[in-house]
Amino acid sequence: MKLSSYEKSVLSGSNGKLSQIALENIIRYANVLGANELCEVTKATVFCGAHHYLNYCKSDNFHELFTKMNLGKDDTILFDKTYPDCYTQSCVSPCDQFEYESLHQSKEFFDKNTFFLKESRNAGVNIAGTCAPYLTGWIPIKGEHFVTTESGMTIIGNSLWGAMGNSDGIEAAFWSSICGRTPLWGNHIEENRKATHHVVVEAEINHLIEWDLLGKAVGMKLPSSSIPVIDGHFKTTNFTKLAQFFTTISMSSNCELCHIAGLTPEARNVSDAFKGSKSQGELVITHNDLQNAYNLICDIGSHKVDFVSLGCPHYNIDLIKRAAGYLEGKKIHPNVHFMIWTVYPIKAMADLNGYTRIIEEAGGKIYTSSCPTTVGNIFLDHYSGFVFDSYKQARSVKSDTNKPVFYGSMETCIDAAITGQWEAENRWKK
Amino acid sequence: MEKITIQGRGVIHGVAEGEALVFPNSIAGWGGIDPATGVIKEPLNVNKGKSIKNKILVMSGSKGSNGWSCYFGAARAAGSAPKGWIFTKIDSSSGVASSIMQIPTVVDFSIDQNPCVLIENGDWVKINGDTGVVEIIKRKHEE
Repeated sequence: MKLSSYEKSVLSGSNGKLSQIALENIIRYANVLGANELCEVTKATVFCGAHHYLNYCKSDNFHELFTKMNLGKDDTILFDKTYPDCYTQSCVSPCDQFEYESLHQSKEFFDKNTFFLKESRNAGVNIAGTCAPYLTGWIPIKGEHFVTTESGMTIIGNSLWGAMGNSDGIEAAFWSSICGRTPLWGNHIEENRKATHHVVVEAEINHLIEWDLLGKAVGMKLPSSSIPVIDGHFKTTNFTKLAQFFTTISMSSNCELCHIAGLTPEARNVSDAFKGSKSQGELVITHNDLQNAYNLICDIGSHKVDFVSLGCPHYNIDLIKRAAGYLEGKKIHPNVHFMIWTVYPIKAMADLNGYTRIIEEAGGKIYTSSCPTTVGNIFLDHYSGFVFDSYKQARSVKSDTNKPVFYGSMETCIDAAITGQWEAENRWKK
Repeated sequence: MEKITIQGRGVIHGVAEGEALVFPNSIAGWGGIDPATGVIKEPLNVNKGKSIKNKILVMSGSKGSNGWSCYFGAARAAGSAPKGWIFTKIDSSSGVASSIMQIPTVVDFSIDQNPCVLIENGDWVKINGDTGVVEIIKRKHEE
């Protein structure tokens, strides 16, 4: 392993035990991958809070839990610092920033989560609580090395911004945020970023839900570890639609980088994406592929519903504005828990702009810092029929419950929240 | 008993042997296993209902969420970890999982020695994380 003088110094313990262990782990990780050197990481999102997977370690001591679960060591090491040149912020936690009773959580658990976040903040993590870190300005630029715990963010960062990141994982994101290094491997190397497969989109893609479905349709057809270049006639694209697409492709495949001809920086056109290398295969996505993707996730028939959730990834202010506009003057059915998920600063903007008032007067809520599946079964188990406007959230909740799960556009979701009923005719079709 | 030897790259040292559990299409990330028992709960997984505990896992690589590694770490904390594992081709998520689990690990096999093809559930497998040698004793004929 080729190490810089800084890395050798950290490895000798000059920067403290925490940095030393973090770098040892990164070097072990690099050896597993077959990397010969490391690169500097300057953007990181990390998974802070009292997440459910931590419960398998029998301890309530934050630092003991952190050491055993995230560092893989038995002797407790204080998590008390992060790499000063790395812009580090938190991903979602299992609690809203302020509320717990309406999510059926105990004050004891809420306080534990708050304490875990406080300790992470003391270590230098900006507590943001979002799967959409770009909403708070966390935006790695072209060529910048980043790590993230949000699968969708890996592909957005690589594809849309030309930044460089792998789907490392929760533990490695902490190691990198502490020692500022990650293995120089995979997407961190320019020559590994060429397209491998040509994906021709024959289906017409305009609305947000169509981009969401395109993500699933492409993800299902992609060979493992491939880098597609998407080739279609997209007339009304915007960042929100692309973020939804990348989020869904990431949960339905192990794709980490997806070029879109004419839209993403490493694919001015199809041939540019291949950079002279030969395509390993062509895939075609038709309208039927989108319909099949939809039918896989949305249960059939009409059904009473009592849980309607929007915002996966977290809604931006424009989507909240649109939801408020659609809801204005209407009332949510009294049996329905209607919610929109976002990040705290966007919630503050919704307050400022009056959107929160409209949504609350209609009987809904804006929550922050988490999402239904991250809060978990303690919340979901209180409800009997679910509606989501996101493929990823619908799929996640579907694996957490045997109850009916429906999926549609923002407008059809709000209609279901108003009537307390998902209607079969609301199913998406072209 | 038929014995086959294949060669990969040993990346986490140590020797482990045990019954193989083969995942040609990996295991889903977030929520694919119950860490308390090690039982696979991914709805469409070929080994749904079987436990990874004390097995030698044979996988193509990782699949899905960036949270892939933490569920194996949780299984380790709960005492439900596999004894060792091999990956046809290493990727970043399986690389992190291997680094945190620190169980004998062999990766990166040649195309004609694909462990997900050569090994079947129930075969007895011995892996050497130092030399990268994997010995397979086929058990199927005895069933």
